[in-house]
Amino acid sequence: MQTDIDLKRFSNQFTSYTELRLQENRSEGIGFLNGDMISNSKSAAGGISARVFDKGAWGFSCGAELSDDSISRTIQMATKNAEFLSSRSGRDGAVLPAATGHGDSDFTRTSPALSQEEKIAFLKKLDNYIVRNCPEVKSRSLNMSCLDMEKQLFTSDGAGGHNITTRSIIMIRLTTENDQGQPVELFSGIGERGQFEDVFSDSSEVEATIDKLYNKLLDKKNAARPEAGHHDVILDSDLAGILAHEAIGHTTEGDIVKAGSVAGDYLGQQVASELVTMVDFANTWHGETLPVPVYLDDEGVQSEDVTIIENGILKGFMHNKETATHFNTSVTGNARAYQYHDEPLVRMRNTAILPGTSKLDDMIASIDNGYYLMNWTNGQADSTSEFMFGVQMGYEIKDGKLGRAVSDTTISGIAFELLKDVSMLSDEMVWNCSGMCGKKQPLPVGMGGPAVKTKVFIGGQ
Amino acid sequence: MGVQETSAQFLDRMRARGYDKAYCNVSDQELHELQSEDGDIKLMRTAFETDVSMTGIIEHKRGSIGINTTDRGSVDDALESLRQMTNAAQPDEANDIAEHAPAAQFTSGPSEPDYDAMYDRIMELQEHVATKYPTVNLRSTSITFGKTNTSRVNSNGVDLLEEQGAYSVSVQFSAKDGEATSSMNYTGYSTHVLDVPIAQKNDVDQLIAQSVEQMHTKNIPGKFTGDLIVSPHCLSTFTGFLMGKISDSAMIDGTSIYRGQLKELVADPSLTIRCCPLSDDLTAAYHTYGTGFVAQDTTVVENGLLQTFMLSQFGANKLGMARAVNGGGCTIIEPGDSSLEDMIKDVAEGIFINRFSGGRPNDQGEFSGVAKNSYYIKDGEIQFPIRETTISGNLAASLKNITAISRERLNSGASNVPWVQIRGITAS
Repeated sequence: MQTDIDLKRFSNQFTSYTELRLQENRSEGIGFLNGDMISNSKSAAGGISARVFDKGAWGFSCGAELSDDSISRTIQMATKNAEFLSSRSGRDGAVLPAATGHGDSDFTRTSPALSQEEKIAFLKKLDNYIVRNCPEVKSRSLNMSCLDMEKQLFTSDGAGGHNITTRSIIMIRLTTENDQGQPVELFSGIGERGQFEDVFSDSSEVEATIDKLYNKLLDKKNAARPEAGHHDVILDSDLAGILAHEAIGHTTEGDIVKAGSVAGDYLGQQVASELVTMVDFANTWHGETLPVPVYLDDEGVQSEDVTIIENGILKGFMHNKETATHFNTSVTGNARAYQYHDEPLVRMRNTAILPGTSKLDDMIASIDNGYYLMNWTNGQADSTSEFMFGVQMGYEIKDGKLGRAVSDTTISGIAFELLKDVSMLSDEMVWNCSGMCGKKQPLPVGMGGPAVKTKVFIGGQ
Repeated sequence: MGVQETSAQFLDRMRARGYDKAYCNVSDQELHELQSEDGDIKLMRTAFETDVSMTGIIEHKRGSIGINTTDRGSVDDALESLRQMTNAAQPDEANDIAEHAPAAQFTSGPSEPDYDAMYDRIMELQEHVATKYPTVNLRSTSITFGKTNTSRVNSNGVDLLEEQGAYSVSVQFSAKDGEATSSMNYTGYSTHVLDVPIAQKNDVDQLIAQSVEQMHTKNIPGKFTGDLIVSPHCLSTFTGFLMGKISDSAMIDGTSIYRGQLKELVADPSLTIRCCPLSDDLTAAYHTYGTGFVAQDTTVVENGLLQTFMLSQFGANKLGMARAVNGGGCTIIEPGDSSLEDMIKDVAEGIFINRFSGGRPNDQGEFSGVAKNSYYIKDGEIQFPIRETTISGNLAASLKNITAISRERLNSGASNVPWVQIRGITAS
């Protein structure tokens, strides 16, 4: 796609607040199932979009063609749409906060480009590694997915930037059979920000992930079912990230708060143990660039970190221009769109519970009867803060020691209650880059956190 | 240039590059959308898009590429990239494209949006809710008119054109009164004509009314094993496990518990599931799919017996079995002979479930998750909306444990399914 178009040239066609966004998403996928190639695909979808605000209503239009005429038509159509809506009902003439953010970033590869043969050979090598080193595996799959999102933005406030975010992930699924001949499965993703060549420059890290996954699969092979009910648990660090994102994060998005989320009633109140601090990071933590770095959001706002919970007190919400106006507060740079034809919504970026000071071993030793749960599958939350996560496996904890493996289950509860029960946080911080949030539009998100000791309801018979 | 001329031209360019088999799909889409947020129409969207997808096979090696532009330079780049991908691929004799079929054209639905009707239907719903359910917040309501012209051509001489137009309506809502907050709920449907108020379609008014009740939920008295009445809004959770396990991935990797179960009893004899993409009753019906196939209706489960696997052409070739005759979806479940009222009266203790928030079931079908927007039933009567209630069981066993299917069905445009009663579900 042509991405060097000077969008400022079209500013003389803006009659109201206008965002002009040039975007292309490029994706690649290669998949193997039991050694057979089942996918080998690429796609690119890009175009221009215009969003216009007029007396409290938005007009949106987009098109794939990038000629001057086409871009002008897109602006005119979005303007016409906004005017249509603003003329149909009484509007209060709301004004959005001005933002003149600027930000450029480019996370394309620094390593030499690999050919399709080389990428396929990398996957094939991993597949052979599983065959050689995981003798009890009966079925296996490897799926590589890479996504580059390139955006160029210009707004009538004068904000603008050119940002390229990238990520590459390999999902590994291993299946064995238990003693009854039934399939037992475990899967995990490995990957991070960056293009394939930079992320997967060496197969050893993926092979180490395969080794860990295989060892856990063998533990899970004849796992017991966890006992249903409320239990003391350690949520592994990968579960802390989804806890931060799903259970709390969504309830504190400005549009969800505006729509009636319980979090709106709790601002300034103690909603969690004093150990808990939770932040939606824009792009950097402790000098480290995070999985989904956002420097400039899709409304031209310079992205800032949002402290959601600080020492257990609910401190703030994530906003776009409209929700910030509604709540009479500052914009935070959380407006993000997935495709060129999508409008920006209030979205998380890199949401994390900050680590504590405990050692994981001490946390396990502190539980007489409970579970250590790991490997999430999916999660959902509600405006009531009631949440559910799928968990692929875990281990019993008896008298402070890990015991038998336990099989797939779900955990659920009221997030703000669970957070009040947090009594220990480990001193490690683990970031997950494979998250794809599904709030109306899919969108890559980062999630992070330490291991968490709390109480939770475990589903099951 | 129309989609047929464009796809034919691209197919010629693929042929010129020496593919043994080639498939091209060009689709023009037009979207017109009104979105309401928190009871206020906030956004009007117009979008024009073109999607091109091309699949090439050389010496049994397959690659696929998708782009959304049709200019010569972009298509040349895509074809070059596709050639590199195909050359690099691992050969598999299962790779193929649709066989020759007579050229055909299909048309369904309107070709132009009725903006006035779109606007008026949303305003009407907002006024209805504001008057009848003042504590309910219509968080998001949207009506999208989509018109799609799709041309599918391939090197076996397939030349199919399908023009579809339809409105999609979606409503998301919750209730709040002081600090009392209900769970969020949502529903949606598709239709060819906006002739009925949104509140009167697909249980919308009923679900919104329930949100008001659901601001004040209670825990169930204690753990029990009883009946589940599954509403059409979440029935796909229970049938979806079977549909997934009779499809490519689980069948090819051998983990499907339904392998070898063709013509075997996989559900209670009262259950019949059909996939009917040609149904006049479903707005989401389609006539073409895949690499140039013409869809046919099929019965997946008839009187509890598994009638077909839902394999793609690749999956079918891989396993030496028959491919499915459509691309899935468009689910029709035959009605039963009970009324929903009688089904509830028949429950000694159970849950009426409207929405399920659950984890991924394991390969055997064991599942657990939270019953959302749901109710506790005792002694044949709905008692109260529930909170923090987990249900668990086995999805494969659930289909065999069906005790009743309602006469009433809900048609969302994408499916037409009844309420189903299942015994032996644990609630805690």
